[in-house]
Amino acid sequence: MSTDEGLTYKGLTYKGLLARGVGAGAVSGLLAGLVGVLVVEAPIRAALAVEQARPAEPGGGHEHGELFSRGTQVVGGVLAAVVVGVAVGALFATAYARSRRWFTTEAPFVRAVALSAAAFGAAAVLPAVKYPANPPGVGAADTVEYRTVLYLGLIAAGLLVAVGASALASRLGRWSPPVRATAVALAAVAAVVVLLVVFPATPDTVPSDVPGGLLWEFRLASLAETATLWLGLGVVFGLLVDPATRRAEASAV
Amino acid sequence: MTSPAHSLPVPIPRWAYAVALVALVVTWLVLQENGIALGHAAETVHEFFHDGRHALGVPCH
Ligand SMILES: [Zn+2]
Repeated sequence: MSTDEGLTYKGLTYKGLLARGVGAGAVSGLLAGLVGVLVVEAPIRAALAVEQARPAEPGGGHEHGELFSRGTQVVGGVLAAVVVGVAVGALFATAYARSRRWFTTEAPFVRAVALSAAAFGAAAVLPAVKYPANPPGVGAADTVEYRTVLYLGLIAAGLLVAVGASALASRLGRWSPPVRATAVALAAVAAVVVLLVVFPATPDTVPSDVPGGLLWEFRLASLAETATLWLGLGVVFGLLVDPATRRAEASAV
Repeated sequence: MTSPAHSLPVPIPRWAYAVALVALVVTWLVLQENGIALGHAAETVHEFFHDGRHALGVPCH
């Protein structure tokens, strides 16, 4: 192990990982943005129509669609996914570099996809189960800060569960893989159930004029976009990092 | 015994944490900013990224 430190490996520097993370994030963000245009825009448009059919709120409040045209907001939606993809890709590269000891597998592609699946679970699926995504016109303006705190808190707790699960997996390294995987999965599921029970329910109720079908169409479409962002990031990053690692391995022998 | 390159450590420079901080701030500005950092200009940012915020599951109005 200690002899590894002195050697240099092409393509395995932090800079190399960061460049791959940013590139993979840009690609997956663009793909997620396209999913947004093709799949999420329809229920957003339908929800905006429901919102606009309402009588104007007393005291003004938060009005949509006044600063920008719908077309500009669609472009903004794609851009949001690309910018978030790049930012998350940079974080992903650092997490990948730091998480070397967390994995029980050696293959870089599998590691990248496993890391992105864990991030997708903690940062998208978990909050979607407790605080599902809502189209415009559903959330109340005066609860948005409280809802944001709950949402970010649940993501942070979910990331801690993911880190804890990988730490447990590496600690149980001597166990046979099926037994270890079962133990880690049971512990992670138990922790997630505790989180879902402990975190308070969302303060908002869905207004009665929003059709249930529209709500579910939007929620599933939103999950498709976040899945594209996270899993796309892991797959593209894995494809970029795997050959570089193999080259480095070959040159180090 | 195991292939060494796969489990090689990647040294993480100090500036990596500055990169991570910038990435978090950018994510905050796009998905969360409601006036804490940008004041009144936040409304423009908020409205521009509004479809993206909803589509990515962030709590909004
Ligand atoms: Zn809003």
